[in-house]
Order: sequence, then C-alpha cells, then structure tokens
Amino acid sequence: MANFRQPLKILLLRSRNNLISSRRLLNYTPIYYDGTEDPANIFLNKNVQNLLKSLTRVDYDKIFKRRKLGSKTLTDPEYKFMTDKELQEALAEAQHTAEELLQIPPIVKVRIKERTVLAEDPALQGLEDCRFVFTDITYGLKGTDRTIIVREPDGTLQEAENSVRHRMNQVYFPQESKLLKAPRMFESDYLENLLNRREYEYVLDRACMQFEPDDLDYQRVVSITYQHVNDSASFELLRSTRHFGALSFFLVWNKNIDNLLLDIIETLRIEEARDLVQLYSLMHRIQFEGNTPLEVVQDYIKKAANKKGALELALQAYKELEAKNRSLTRGIERPSRKSLVLLTL
Amino acid sequence: MAKHLLDVTKIFQKLIVTKQIPQPLRIDSPSQIRLFTTTSALQTNFFNKYPASNLWDSITSVSNAGKKRGRAKTISRKNIKDLNKGQVIGVGKANIVWPGLSAPIIRGKELVEQVQLPEDPEREKRLTELRNSMGFHKFAKLSPLERGWSGTKMPGRSLGRPDPIGEETFDDFDTRVLEFKTIVIMKGNFGRKRRMSALVVTGNKKGLAGFAMGKALEGKIALRKAKNRSVQKLMHIKMFNNHTVCHHFFTQFGNTKIYVWQKPEGYGLKCHRGIKTICEVIGIKDLYAKVEGAMNINHIMKAFFLGLIKQKTPEEIAQEKGLHLVEVSKERNYFPKVIASPTECRKAEDIPKNEILDFNQYCFEGKVVLQKKKRPPFYTNLKSYYRHVIKQERLRNQPEVKKNLIAEYGEIRSFLAEKYPECTQYRQPPKTEEETEETV
Repeated sequence: MANFRQPLKILLLRSRNNLISSRRLLNYTPIYYDGTEDPANIFLNKNVQNLLKSLTRVDYDKIFKRRKLGSKTLTDPEYKFMTDKELQEALAEAQHTAEELLQIPPIVKVRIKERTVLAEDPALQGLEDCRFVFTDITYGLKGTDRTIIVREPDGTLQEAENSVRHRMNQVYFPQESKLLKAPRMFESDYLENLLNRREYEYVLDRACMQFEPDDLDYQRVVSITYQHVNDSASFELLRSTRHFGALSFFLVWNKNIDNLLLDIIETLRIEEARDLVQLYSLMHRIQFEGNTPLEVVQDYIKKAANKKGALELALQAYKELEAKNRSLTRGIERPSRKSLVLLTL
Repeated sequence: MAKHLLDVTKIFQKLIVTKQIPQPLRIDSPSQIRLFTTTSALQTNFFNKYPASNLWDSITSVSNAGKKRGRAKTISRKNIKDLNKGQVIGVGKANIVWPGLSAPIIRGKELVEQVQLPEDPEREKRLTELRNSMGFHKFAKLSPLERGWSGTKMPGRSLGRPDPIGEETFDDFDTRVLEFKTIVIMKGNFGRKRRMSALVVTGNKKGLAGFAMGKALEGKIALRKAKNRSVQKLMHIKMFNNHTVCHHFFTQFGNTKIYVWQKPEGYGLKCHRGIKTICEVIGIKDLYAKVEGAMNINHIMKAFFLGLIKQKTPEEIAQEKGLHLVEVSKERNYFPKVIASPTECRKAEDIPKNEILDFNQYCFEGKVVLQKKKRPPFYTNLKSYYRHVIKQERLRNQPEVKKNLIAEYGEIRSFLAEKYPECTQYRQPPKTEEETEETV
C-alpha cells in the first residue's frame, strides 16, 4: 500500500511547489513593471507623490477603523479628559501616524537576475546527490547583496535562484512578518476565492508583508488584485489605505484609468478627476489643455480615453447637476436678501 | 336456625339442577396453587390486633404534637399510595367466578357455578395505572428557554408583557421575576397568616424599565399584581450606544454596594444573576458588576436602579468638567475619538491641582476598587510541577508547528514523509457501509 501511494504523493508535492508561478488565474494575466523604464523614478517624483496622496483621500474614520487584533473580546477603551490644547496635540500625533500608515509601498522594476555560472567542475559530478548552498552571513549586508552560491550535483557552481535566496535570508536573518514558504493564499485557487470575496486590503497587506517590492511573485499578486479591483469598480474598499496610491499608479501606468475616472466623476469630485488626468499627463508626457478642471478632463476624454461614451455621459450628468445646484443656491440667496431689505425698511 | 336451614333446602328443591356434573377444579397453574394455600396466624401482633382503618391512619398521619416535634416529616399526601385501591375481594389474577363472593349464587332460576374464565390481560395494567395516578403530581416540563435561575423555581422566569391599560398594550415589554416567597404575619384573631410575595421587574429592552412588589394569598395573583404595578412605575434609563451603561459607577443601598464597569461590545453581562436579569429587561448588553456587602436581591435591585438613574451622559460629564471627553482604544490604533465636548473648554491653568482628572476615579467618586491579586495555585510550589514544566518546555511550539503542517500539507507529517510515506499521523479509516451493517 505504502509503495503504491509513494509516487503519487511525491508528484502531488512537486506540482504543489510549482503552483505559484505556473498556473494562471482564470481571467487575469499578471502585469509586471518589466519595461525598459524604471517606474521608481516617476514614483519618487514629489509631484507624483502629492497627486497620489490627494487621490487616496484621508478619512480618519477609515484609517483608524476598529481592527481585530486577535483577542476574542475587544479591549476596554480608555477615557481621558483633555483641554483644547491637549486635544490638538493628540490629533496632530494621530495625523502623523496616519501619514505613516498611508505610506505607499514602493513601486519598482521587477528583479529578474540571471544566474551567473561561476565554475563548472565536471570532476565533481556524481560526488553528492544533493545541492550545497553557501551563504555569506557577514553582518550588515543587505539581503539583496548577500552572496549565495549553489554547487549543483553535476559540478557547476552558480548563483542561487530567487526562491533559494529568500529561504537562506529568512533562515539566517529571519524577519518576523515573513514566512519561510509563501502562504498558500497566494496560489491561484485561493487567491481567486479571496478576490471574489473582495478581501483586497487583506491580500495586499499580506503581500506587502511576505514579499519584497521587486519580487516577481509580489508584482504578480498585486497586479492581479488591482485588475480585479478595477473590473469590479470597488475602489471605495481601498480608499484611505496605503494601497490606493499604488493602485492608481498601476492603472495610470497601464493607461487604464477610465473606470477610476468614471467613479470619481460620478461622485462629483471634479478636482480629483483633474488630479488623475494630471498624473496621466506626467507619466505619459501628454499635455491636456484647459483652464478649469472640467475642461482638462474633457480634453483627456477627447484625446486618450477608451470608454469615451460612458465618460462623456457621466460628465454631462455632472454638468447638469452643477447647473441645478447653482440655480438652487441662487434661489435660496435671493429671498433672504429681500427679507433683509424688508427688515431694514 | 333449623328453620333457616329448612328454608334453604326448600329453595334448592325448587331449582332445576343441570345435568352436567361440575368438574372438579384442576390444579395445574401456579396461580391456582396460590389460591389454595393459606397462612395461619398463630401469633398475635398489632397487624391482627387492630382494625385496618386504625393501621391505615397510623401510617398516613401524624398527631399534632408529633408534628411539632418534627416527627414523620416524609409523610405527606404526595407520598401516600393506597395499594388496595382497585382491588376487589374475590377478583384476582386468575379470573375465577366465585358464586356468593364475586358473583351471585343464583342468576334467574339457575345456580351459578364456579368457573374459571380466561385471564384478563388488561387487569394488571389498569391496576398499575390507578396506583401511579395516586399521590404523585407531575409538573409540566419547562423548556430550557423558559427556565429561571434554578430548576422550576419562579425567580428569573419570564411572565410576559403586563396587561394592557386602555389602548396601551405594552407589546415589546417583558417581565421577569426577581423574588417569589411566602411571608407570614401574626393576626389577632387568625393567628399566623401566610401570603405570597413577588418582586418583579419589567422593561422594553430599549431603556424603559420599572419594578414592583405584589402580595396576595395566591402566588399567581401576587405575580400578576406585581407585574401590573411595575409597568406603572417606569423609569427612563440612559445607555451608551444602546449597549452598555454610560460610564463606570458606584452605587449603594443599605449595606449593599455595587461597582459597575462599562464594557465594550461583545463582552456580555458578567455580574450577579439579579443584575443580569434587570439588564436584560432594560436592554443593557455589556457590563461588569461586583456586589459587595449584603446580597439581598431587593437591595441589589434598588441599589442598581439608583445607580442607573444617577448616570450622566457623556455630554453632561464634559459640560460639568469643562473638558473634552476623549476615547482612546487599542483597536483604533489609539486615535483620540472625541465623545463629547463642552460649550466652553477650560484651560490647563484654570484647573485646580487637587481636581480628579482620571476618568475612572471621577466615575467611582474617588473610591479605589480593591482588586485582589490572584494567588498562584498551591501546586506551583511542588517539585513535581517544576519537573512537569521543564518537560513541557520542549513541546511549547508544537501547536504552532501542527497548524503550519496542516496548512501546508493538509495533515500532520514527519519531515521524512516525502521519502517514507508511512511517516504521517495515523487516522482511523472511515467505516464503510458494509462494516456498519455487520455490527448492527
């Protein structure tokens, strides 16, 4: 019985280890930052950072929402009496922590390193049937700079692949948040389930903890999640989180901002739409002309939008609503003036 | 005497005697054997000295003097069973017709003979049924939802909504019993007079509640009186976010002291059962309370209601203090959430140095609650426990490792399992259908 089961199990195990990179999620292909241009240069630009922050919208209720901390019951809240000054100080401190919490995870080019062969010694072939990994554990080296070399059973001495590098780094210099093996939630079946349940924030948070930003797996998970968010237009779930900046950067980078723009126009935030279009023009070096935010957005729709019809309709609806509001406010103001005049008489 | 005998013979002469010769009784069944055996009472004892009625009285009653001394406590109407009930002389297990005993001697113009009829299977059943129906009164079983604090007792049980007054029907009200007991007073002409007393609390689970006591000769009436009086004495009770008390507080009635703590959602009611019942009726869901001193339910209830009524809303507290009331919790990453603000806030210079600024101390009016340290159990000083702790230390990561293994491989397995597949945790294979049928 045991002998019969053995090959099947090993086969299963092997296939399981390769799952992460091999199988494709049903509808989405991962999009990596693997072009010639490094997105980090644009991402670190101050203007771009400011635009991304303004798109994120700082909502303290959401940033400091009640989170589960692993205990079965909530902890007792603490009540304090505060003077105005103390309250202002406390709020300033909270603002500072909010800024820290909203820091956008770095967007960099994906790291695909060629494994350079250092030596080939055919004389060592067959000496051992396992691989030897040599790791430089000098204190103070960066994980990416550390020399990690593998002697293969066939005698070649070459640099270790990414998975081995990560494992050796984690073995000698463990980081608490990272697991030795990537959790299975990043495998396509489980990931799809999570995305369908719209657990975007959880997936992205966990990916930030487990992977480095230039990791192939990180960019795979993150890009698939962003595409899912864009298709389901559930931007509200990621607003006021650290991931919204990265999401909008991803969409602008891939010239796919129409859904987001539609969402922004429909919620009557024309200034924010202008910011998004401005980000687009900064990244792709296209000028959109216009004096008011409305004109800039209109120019974008004319020149670069993919979903022209829907966007124009939304913009038209926005204009009508604005006009109605304006007439309403005028209507409210007028009689009040009349009454004032009456009072003075 | 001779004349009497003569009359009898005359009657017999008139009767037509049937030709059938009555068969002698055959003794073949054991029940028939029992019929013919008799016990002779040679000795005299109180069983054959006194008549049955005297004997029956002696075991089913106690004299008044004996009762006062506490004799025969177990004797009550509940326990008395008359096993003779349903039994008729001449009628027994063996269904035999005894002329002159269980049947008339002459029926019409015929002489009745002694005959054995087939046994009646129903007779035994009827007898046991008759015996079981005696004395023992069975109460209807309460469903677990209807039960009170203990068994079938009234305290803690729900009485439903109070009776409607005019158009007001009190649909969302519920009444719970807190105390139900007999009380006795002395009267000049009646002597001891017993009554039932009921203490109930009613409320609509939205912050409206009242309590009352009702007394009557009968329990049911006392409960109804109390229920209908309680709804006429409703009080409005302030709540924080509709789930807990506004703040911690201390309250006292007589020698009963209660410390009440406000608690976050999901904590539940951890307090005296009386306070818990009151909270359920009011609509408070989360709270911790500690009762000190006398544990009289009447006083606990009054003390608790006093405390609830004296509560201040956060706005009132902020206004009284002239300071912002701010909530800081771990779950919100210590974000200062303003609960209430005064119309005019005081400055740090205006606050006197001896003013209480700690919120908990402010709530308990400067009282410090004694929180006893939990003493470690006795065995922690034993040498054997020390050895046990040392032995267990190497297993401290086992649960974590098991969890990770199940997450990764779906089972608990050794690191050798890839090479030797038998190195996994053994699990009893599920029983197939055939096997279960065999065992059945």
